[in-house]
Amino acid sequence: MEWLTPFNALIAGAIAIPLLLLMYFLKLKRHEQMVSSTLLWQRAIQDLQVNAPFQKIRRNLLLLIQLLMVILLLLALAGPTASLTSGPGRRYILLIDRSASMGATDIAAKSRLEEAKKQAITFVQSLRDQAAFSLHDTSDQAMVIAFNQHGKVQCNFTSDKRQIISAIKSIEPGGSSSSLGEAMMITRAFAQSLGVDDNNRDPQNLVHLILFSDGQIRDLDQIDVGANELTFHSLGQSGKNTAVTSLKASRSYENPDEVNVFATVSNYDTQTATCDVQFSVNNNVHAVKSVTIPARIVDKSSAEIQPGKAAVNFSLSLAETGVVEVRQLQNDSLKVDDAAWTILPPPQRLTVLLVTVGNVILESALRACPLAELKTCTPVQFNNMDHSRLTIEKTYDVIVLDKFIPDQLPRSRYLIFGSVPNGIDVSVSAIVKNQIVVDWQASHPVLKYVNLSNIVAAQSNKLSLPRDAEVLAEFNETPALALLRRKGSVFLLAGFDILQSNWPFEPGFVLFCYNATNFLGTQTGIGPQSDLLAGQPIHLEGLSPGTVVKIDGPHFSDRTIKANPSGALHFPDTDQVGIYTLKIPDETPKVFAVNLLDDKESNIEPRKEIALLGRQIKAADKSMTRSNLPLWPYFVVVALILTCIEWMIYNSKTRL
Amino acid sequence: MDEKKATTRNVSSRRKLTELLDPQFMARLDSLDVLSRKILQGKLQGERRSKRRGQSVEFADHRPYVAGDDLRFVDWNIYGRLNQLFLKLFLEEQDLTVHIVLDDSASMNDDRTISNKKTNSTSATQITKSGFAKRLAAALGYVSLVNNNRVTLSSFSHEITGQLAHMRGRNYLPQMAEFLLRETPQESPLSPDDPDILLAGFDGICRQLSAGRTGTGIMIIISDFFFKQGYQSGLRRLIGGKYDIYTIQVLSLAELEPEFTGDLKLVDIEDSDTAEITISTALLKYYKRTLNSYCNELKDFCTSRGGVYVLARSNDSIESLVLKYLLKIGLLR
Repeated sequence: MEWLTPFNALIAGAIAIPLLLLMYFLKLKRHEQMVSSTLLWQRAIQDLQVNAPFQKIRRNLLLLIQLLMVILLLLALAGPTASLTSGPGRRYILLIDRSASMGATDIAAKSRLEEAKKQAITFVQSLRDQAAFSLHDTSDQAMVIAFNQHGKVQCNFTSDKRQIISAIKSIEPGGSSSSLGEAMMITRAFAQSLGVDDNNRDPQNLVHLILFSDGQIRDLDQIDVGANELTFHSLGQSGKNTAVTSLKASRSYENPDEVNVFATVSNYDTQTATCDVQFSVNNNVHAVKSVTIPARIVDKSSAEIQPGKAAVNFSLSLAETGVVEVRQLQNDSLKVDDAAWTILPPPQRLTVLLVTVGNVILESALRACPLAELKTCTPVQFNNMDHSRLTIEKTYDVIVLDKFIPDQLPRSRYLIFGSVPNGIDVSVSAIVKNQIVVDWQASHPVLKYVNLSNIVAAQSNKLSLPRDAEVLAEFNETPALALLRRKGSVFLLAGFDILQSNWPFEPGFVLFCYNATNFLGTQTGIGPQSDLLAGQPIHLEGLSPGTVVKIDGPHFSDRTIKANPSGALHFPDTDQVGIYTLKIPDETPKVFAVNLLDDKESNIEPRKEIALLGRQIKAADKSMTRSNLPLWPYFVVVALILTCIEWMIYNSKTRL
Repeated sequence: MDEKKATTRNVSSRRKLTELLDPQFMARLDSLDVLSRKILQGKLQGERRSKRRGQSVEFADHRPYVAGDDLRFVDWNIYGRLNQLFLKLFLEEQDLTVHIVLDDSASMNDDRTISNKKTNSTSATQITKSGFAKRLAAALGYVSLVNNNRVTLSSFSHEITGQLAHMRGRNYLPQMAEFLLRETPQESPLSPDDPDILLAGFDGICRQLSAGRTGTGIMIIISDFFFKQGYQSGLRRLIGGKYDIYTIQVLSLAELEPEFTGDLKLVDIEDSDTAEITISTALLKYYKRTLNSYCNELKDFCTSRGGVYVLARSNDSIESLVLKYLLKIGLLR
């Protein structure tokens, strides 16, 4: 048994019980009055009692009031509710947008998300309750799904209003963009039974979707809903916003101590904006620049808003790692996109070990790279090394194997030419001849600015790669370059001997060597990808399996997570923009920057109409108001007031 | 010295009478006399006309002369005109006994202050039923005494508490005043085992009064007649005899128009009997109906047996009651 409104009952009892006791005690007290004779009074009482059962119901105010009171209490027990709907209980799914744009504080100094939660709570309070003394469940049910990039079920279908409201209140703002696709998948999964579709379902039993958003959802045109299935409540009042929408910091190739920072500031207002942009490193302000940003442009054909943009760049000399922050200082309603961060790695030079019997070309190419040290050794020497020490001390950032399959593979990053080591799930099924590169991933950091179109290999190993391997370049019959991770190590495989190809003669080969060593040495393991978008998980490799890592985030600290058996660590909870620091035992902390950097999400212009797949849905005219109002408390209050009036009349000295 | 004492006593007695009756009112009472509806024969020669034809100075009728009649009463004027002998007949004057019975029980002594703006009374502001009854008894006694009637004044509560018998003449006025103004101790009702129980209660009182009554006359009973044992048996003993019975029921405004409200516990002032009531419009209606019915029953009882019933309110004017109403009904002339 559940008490839905215990406090109401307590309040009513606190009023009624003392009143009743008061009436009882007062009723007992009779004032003594001396009279000359009780003879006639006794006769009058007898006459009254004799005639009472038979007299007509006379106008008796007290009796009338008592009857009214009883009627009101009975009506209250009947559970009257002012309702605009009738019939069996309905089901609703509340879709609440918690993306970055919903953090705009343009509604009476509170965020759009707060307003969305308030309207959702108002709607929940209007849901019909279970009628008192009814054997049939006619109560409405609701489910709450909060979404940004991903959808999350806050509360499953229930008629318990307190549970639903609690779930709504627990929704936290997210810093990422919004996508309704995943939320709709969840909706379909929860709203329908297996094998039954909406067409066969009684319209009364269809789930009704209620969307609370500002309308800036990127995949609306892929969402399909039925007619009158979804009600859209638009939130927000203004699209005025200034945001940092891109940021890049890099060290000069020639002088790694010199850092160049490039940022773009966007203006979504209808007028030109001038704002100050602040540049900080490790929380120390280095420069402030004033930037004039043109007004936004509305595309006439698509009605899309194109923000006005302005580029700003900073330079400084920094010989160490640092957290670079670019922040626009103009006060606007959305704070999450006012700043962006990037992690500047230290001017790191790699130590590379080349294991070869003798490859002058390869050695020359590697020496052309700005390495801290390039060591060479023979395969025999490599096999004789203390591999465990290599693993622990990480003596070499990258190990280049030239046509060599070692007996043991210490945990490291490998660039392997012409051979495939054992135990990495890669097999060679054949030797293929006369291979030319037919395709490659030009955007991959390893192949950036590398042109492989003229590469021809006289012969190559035909590689059979595992599913998780990443093919960076393809020969006509076999993968040419592949990247995979096994046992805490990273392998960049070139299945062919470079000396049996024309690649060393291509100018891109040296660049490839630089990219490969840089990628293997900085972005995998030691230097993982440190600049992430909101919602993008933090991925770290090369850890000892089971290592416990503590994470500090923008709004939390010391959250622990454990590395998996393969030595990788995956942290997906990066909804909030800001700096995340991973504290790894016996290692220097790893810092990650999570940014919004989203043109579309920074566009906070609230939409009054959303375009779904083949359907336009206008925002509801009025904000959510309570439509179901239980009336029984009012009946009870009036009944209590009548009780007091009746008592006053009863004791009144004025004869009625 | 004795004359001085007598004078002093007379002065103080006069003062007591004036506590009951206003001197101007007394002056007006001097011209009144008590009248019996049946002309009665008294024991002494009084200023009362009796229906018996006897020797007096007032001509009543003629009858033919018969041998042996007294020739002194022959009407010679008629003989001269008709040449026939007729005798004059005269009314015989008789004296009258007036017995005033006053209820002096606790029910008459409701000491609630009643302000009556309508009354012309100049007496004390506290007008209780007892006070009203005593003033009425004093007025009637005064009229009777100044006209040389035989006056007996009795007071009763649960039993006869006092009596002044056979008073005649003005000289008894002070005594009457003193009797009326005395403090009567309130006695509790006798228990059923008391040997004098038969003499208690209104029936017992009337039994005593009836036994002590001699000859004929007027009996005036001044009471509220709220007797729980009933008044019928007692009045039967008094009505129907040789006395004119006048029942004057005195009620207070509080009894006629009670102003109670709420939940009350009514306590009878005489026997402490209680009645718990909740005042309502219906109850008040029933009470008044019961009161009217009670008074009408008393009236019917009296008048059907040859008595006279008078309802007086304690806040009414004594002067109006005596000088107008009692004259009108024939008790006074």
